Amino acid sequence: MNRYFRELSVAGALGLLLAMLAVVAPAFYQPQPLLSLATREAPTLVVACGMALVIICRQIDISVGSQFSVCSVGAGLLAAHGWPAGLVLLASVSIGALLGAFNGVLVAGLRLPSIVVTLATLVSLRQGLNLVRQGEFVNLPDGLQWFGLSQTDGQWTLVAFALGLLLVFAVALRYLSAGRFVYAVGTDTEAARLAGINPQRVTFAVFVLMGALTGLAAMMNIIQSPQVQPLSGNGLELKVIAAVVVGGVAISGGRGSVWGMFAGLLLLACVSPTLTHLHIEAYWEKAIQGAIILLAVVADGLRSRKENR
Amino acid sequence: MSAPLLELRRITKSYAGVHALRGVDFDLQPGEVHALLGENGAGKSTLIRVVTGAHQPDRGSIAIAGQRVTHLTPSAAQQLGVACIYQQPALFPDLTVAENIALRLEPSTGLRLVHWSARRERARSLLARIGASISPETEVRALSMPEQQLVEIACALGAGARIVIMDEPTASLTQKEQHLLFAVVRDLRASGVGVIYISHRLDEIFALADRVTVLRDGESVGTSPVGEINEAGLIRMMVGREVTQIYPPAETEPGDTVLSLKGVGSSACPVHDVTFDVRAGEVFGLAGLVGAGRTELARILFGLTPADRGEIRLNGQPVTLRSPQEAVAHGIAYVPEDRRRHGVVLEMPIAQNMSMAVHRRIFPGTWLRFGTERRHALDFIRDLAVKAYGPDAPGGSLSGGNQQKVSLARWLATKPKLLILDEPTQGVDVGAKSEIHKIVRRLAKQGLAVLLISSDLPEVLGMSDRIGIMRGGTMAAVLPGKADAQEVMALALGTAK
Amino acid sequence: MRTASNTSAWKSAVFSHEGILFLVLVAEWVFFYHFGTTVNRHDVVVGFGTIDRQFDILRHSCEIGLLALALTPIILTAGIDLSVGSLLGLCAILFGMLWHDAGLSIPVAAAGALAVGALGGGLNAVLITWLRLPPLIVTLGTYSLFRGLAEAITRGAVTYTDFPASFLFLGQERWCGLPTQAWIFLAVAVLIGLLVHRTTFGRSFRTIGFSPEGARYAGLPVGRRLALVYLIAGVVSALAGLIYTSRLGQAKADAGTGYELFAITAVVLGGTSIFGGVGSVTGTLLGVAAIAVLKNGLACLPVVMRMNGAEELSGMLTGALLLLALTGSVLPKYLSNWRASHHSARPQPPT
Repeated sequence: MNRYFRELSVAGALGLLLAMLAVVAPAFYQPQPLLSLATREAPTLVVACGMALVIICRQIDISVGSQFSVCSVGAGLLAAHGWPAGLVLLASVSIGALLGAFNGVLVAGLRLPSIVVTLATLVSLRQGLNLVRQGEFVNLPDGLQWFGLSQTDGQWTLVAFALGLLLVFAVALRYLSAGRFVYAVGTDTEAARLAGINPQRVTFAVFVLMGALTGLAAMMNIIQSPQVQPLSGNGLELKVIAAVVVGGVAISGGRGSVWGMFAGLLLLACVSPTLTHLHIEAYWEKAIQGAIILLAVVADGLRSRKENR
Repeated sequence: MSAPLLELRRITKSYAGVHALRGVDFDLQPGEVHALLGENGAGKSTLIRVVTGAHQPDRGSIAIAGQRVTHLTPSAAQQLGVACIYQQPALFPDLTVAENIALRLEPSTGLRLVHWSARRERARSLLARIGASISPETEVRALSMPEQQLVEIACALGAGARIVIMDEPTASLTQKEQHLLFAVVRDLRASGVGVIYISHRLDEIFALADRVTVLRDGESVGTSPVGEINEAGLIRMMVGREVTQIYPPAETEPGDTVLSLKGVGSSACPVHDVTFDVRAGEVFGLAGLVGAGRTELARILFGLTPADRGEIRLNGQPVTLRSPQEAVAHGIAYVPEDRRRHGVVLEMPIAQNMSMAVHRRIFPGTWLRFGTERRHALDFIRDLAVKAYGPDAPGGSLSGGNQQKVSLARWLATKPKLLILDEPTQGVDVGAKSEIHKIVRRLAKQGLAVLLISSDLPEVLGMSDRIGIMRGGTMAAVLPGKADAQEVMALALGTAK
Repeated sequence: MRTASNTSAWKSAVFSHEGILFLVLVAEWVFFYHFGTTVNRHDVVVGFGTIDRQFDILRHSCEIGLLALALTPIILTAGIDLSVGSLLGLCAILFGMLWHDAGLSIPVAAAGALAVGALGGGLNAVLITWLRLPPLIVTLGTYSLFRGLAEAITRGAVTYTDFPASFLFLGQERWCGLPTQAWIFLAVAVLIGLLVHRTTFGRSFRTIGFSPEGARYAGLPVGRRLALVYLIAGVVSALAGLIYTSRLGQAKADAGTGYELFAITAVVLGGTSIFGGVGSVTGTLLGVAAIAVLKNGLACLPVVMRMNGAEELSGMLTGALLLLALTGSVLPKYLSNWRASHHSARPQPPT
């Protein structure tokens, strides 16, 4: 089906990569390391769901890394103060939603360009956090890790939850009218207005949702270790944007799916272990990430040049 | 005798000193196809805007289904059952046809389940009613313009509109598609819907319409049942007028051929197989209806859309025009139709607008010389009688006519050999119009070759030394300047033989 | 009201964006002068008002200032370049590598670094003008790529140091009374100022920013002009990298991290519209000064010194400043739109 061509080609590339790994570095396919990898990336998947929505809506949010850090530390502090896990989760999501709402008001309400707004909030949040915490870790109470489950059980729960959320979003973007509105607004704001949709409201909601998902992901992250690292969110935005863009969501809005994002995320997640198994040092990771973003965008650009000729 | 679906009384509307509509009466009965005929600029689009609520009339009354409506807004009009199929559809290019129709018709509450099969079914049935062979799964981006129009019609159908306005619907349809469209229109009529059908194709009007109203210069010349009038009569109503405007006469004989086209066309636009030439000192008028390809031809000549067929010669030498820079280098200047978007940069001062095309000449070494620029602007302000408070006035602060003069000044500064004017007096008040005409005649006298694209028939007839009539993307005929108005119109419409 | 009389010329100068910013800058300076202590910490005078401090401010603002100058033409064309900070770091590293590992002389290595800057800017230029890709995502990608390359080359660990004194003179010493790099900054400021305000190139940047289609119809070579601004940004970023290395005496992969925010804020604060067309180099310089004074002044406030949070606070305030500047720039549009919608429909010619 031509409509899913882009997603399928990413899936194809992923398949190739996995096949190559099977041949060159079969040690990759051991169940325990794979499960650990999947668990580590589960929060990223959650954030990427939100970013897919933001980019489909023809916006961008580069402050998610800082939002993630703030939510992580905030949740950690509340947990350390004895709050029950459920409330901590709620608090984390709420903090994220509030941060997202701030972005949303400026972008949707004042029609400011999202790149510059989220650049400002990125730095403000990160520096604010540094100022308050001075890089200090937060020690979490024992009962919080894995929500009290065993490690393996906890890992499976997180992975299953992330996959479940992915499914929910895939369904919502396709079968919920609100999901379709996101596509409409991202394609053509004026046509959306003429069709009776309120573009500002949709844009605002997308940013709030992005923040809430980031808060959720932060919670999913902190229960994986006994401490909260305040720098845990660094570089998250690039990782997530790369996954979304590679997965076929056009930066010009209006097209793409979370399935493509998922394929892109898997592809990028496999890059780092591939590098390890191929004995390429890890510090090439950022360069490769940037190169992959550029390649994906160039490929899309060449394709639309051909279409428009 | 049921109430008319739509009743307009003494509708008057002006824009910036131009009277677009002057006391027009119009009514639409249920189950009727009422054609609206008139040249470009006669007021048809303004009337439509009033009916769809996009603009408020200065005077006059609107009644829909017997009820007076005082302040008609687009959403109110939609609710009252007015739907308009424009030539530029407002669809979502990245979404499918089924979704486009669904988004228009479904309520805009967010938390509803989307039933794709129902959406597809509804789209399929609506498209089938029109007889359009478009798959609901196609992305709108992949549809041609006529196909997109059919989708719009399907939307209107689905919205249960009682008053459907079709603005030149068959402009780019094939024969087969036209027949399908007629069937749709007849269907609508049979179900009691009233259709306002704007078209230039007289044969369509006679085939489809019950009544026809002719607009001319913002006034309604008359309404007649289709059976009681013939083609000649319609053309007479459209065109016949006293020539009240005196156009400056030609004073010199045309010189050598400046521009020569043979079989020119481009696969990227409807223009094909265009052959004609323009001589120095001559004003060559390019007449034709909207969509005939005149602006597209101008874009080809200015390098915005490169020609890939045929030969273009300037002063005898073959040239390729792949970009505006190349065109300007060859001495071609283009004063565009859309002066607010392409002709003048509204935010920049007049002086900067005027110097924009001649940087290399008046700013040697790329160094800006404000004094020179200012003098340059003052010269043109004086020569063209531009009314502004100074060379620093931003382009956006001027009236349409003065903006046009600034746009003209920009290109005159390049001392071109061929000047292409695209609708130079559209939306310009009478005084400035006359000034622009005198300027054009003066330029021709100085040896410039002028290609004048205009939908204002008296202007074309009065100003041109020769007239080329375009139709369907090609040159239908070339007539001498003192041609008969009705003959020109007939050629443009395609009814002449 | 634009008339030629002198009184309104004064008025328009004072109430212009730059005029207000200048007043804010002065107020800021006075504030820090008053509240910034002259505390003797370990017998080092940390006062705000000292000449040493002022020169320090100048030194620190040269790199960000250069980036802001490079960004001004780009933002005038309604574009953006997020990769300037990363390119600064990459060029600094490559300079160190060329000098230390390849054994080239300082001038040759510096030329090499500038060439790399041109290549980096050229990459942005090609992708944006030839492939017509949105500057946002292209420079986001190169932001990551350039930084990543710097990290990869240095394996995240290598730092190039021990540069000769002749090179360190550039960043750490004074020449004719001012810090050396200030002269370079001044020269670049003059060059870019002339380019933007006094050449046809600058005129075309603004035109493209106001209306890319309109520029095309006017026969301007839009693609070539856009390529030029991104190319210039690349070279200037490299220059900033050299100065950074000289000032700190070392080249590390994280050079210039976070500079893009400060640079963009300086440009927007200075009155250049993020939507293109409007702006000035003078404004950018004032914006750079305002941010530099803010950064340095904060470090002198006793409350900040106790918190040990000068860096963080300046980052936060700069972010807040950017948002305020953006909000301030769109408010007039909102007010006029609101006013217009309460009048009858604007006259438009019928088509």
